[in-house]
Amino acid sequence: MINLRRYTLIRNIVLVWLSLVLLAAFLLNIPKINILEHTARNLYFHVPMWFTMMAAVFVSAYHSFQVLRSGDIVRDIRALQAARVGAFFGVLGLVTGIVWSKFTWYVGTDVWWNFDPRQSMVSLQLLIYGAYFVLRGALDDPNKRARIAAVYNLFAATTTPFLLYVIPRQMDSLHPGAEGNPAFSEITHPIMRLVFYPAIVGFIGMFWVLYTQRVRTALIKHRVTHDPEL
Amino acid sequence: MTASELMQPAELIQEVQDASTAYDSVWAGASIPTQDLSGLEQVMLAHDKLYVVLAVVLIIWIGIVILLLRNDARLASVERIMEEQGTSFDDGL
Repeated sequence: MINLRRYTLIRNIVLVWLSLVLLAAFLLNIPKINILEHTARNLYFHVPMWFTMMAAVFVSAYHSFQVLRSGDIVRDIRALQAARVGAFFGVLGLVTGIVWSKFTWYVGTDVWWNFDPRQSMVSLQLLIYGAYFVLRGALDDPNKRARIAAVYNLFAATTTPFLLYVIPRQMDSLHPGAEGNPAFSEITHPIMRLVFYPAIVGFIGMFWVLYTQRVRTALIKHRVTHDPEL
Repeated sequence: MTASELMQPAELIQEVQDASTAYDSVWAGASIPTQDLSGLEQVMLAHDKLYVVLAVVLIIWIGIVILLLRNDARLASVERIMEEQGTSFDDGL
């Protein structure tokens, strides 16, 4: 069901790839920007977390759609594990964002969290996915659970682009890409893109490795207990 | 109706918008209440804020380690179930 040789190959590539990204992220010189200074390098780490979560949401929604088409429990396993690892990357994105904002937006104050629209909306998004995991816990029959959870997961996935991108961009926010604040494409120097795009690829690869590990474990559990919930 | 009267609603809306940054702890137009840097900030802002990047990388690393340990725990629990069921590992593993 899972091609182990391919998995091992991709895992090794991802580990080497991310190590090189980490090196380049610190060793390459970047243009100086007021207030941001070296924290501009967080572009290589904080932003790919959200790209990775978005990719995970797509994977999860795709498999949920397949659950509704075929009722295949393996698709349900994949949808759940993609959502779990995706939410994990979302939490990392949120926490790294809080730390970044503390020492740029809120420097010289005691503020860590100021209900910036971007942060509020992604918190809401993570709560929506939290409800997905709770909903699953409330249902005992694996086949019924697969179908009901798939419907909810498709709803959760459709809210994601709005809460992550559309709504925060129309409100006043300190986050780049919001109203009155330049977006990535206007302010990012080419040298930073040299690291940024590989970082996105690397972290999405990391997602795939962690997700595949969990799918493998869930498949074994399904085989021995007939309940794939992990 | 004069032009200035026509302008009023728009100005009003603008004023309301300026005053309605409820999610902002700083009044618009007021100077930012910058205090002396705390100990944490003195550390994090050193070397052109380089340690902020270190903190972010460490958070991601610790997160991946936590997920790795959780995956390990799940795997161990499945292995325990298999042992209880007497599933044999005859396939050379």
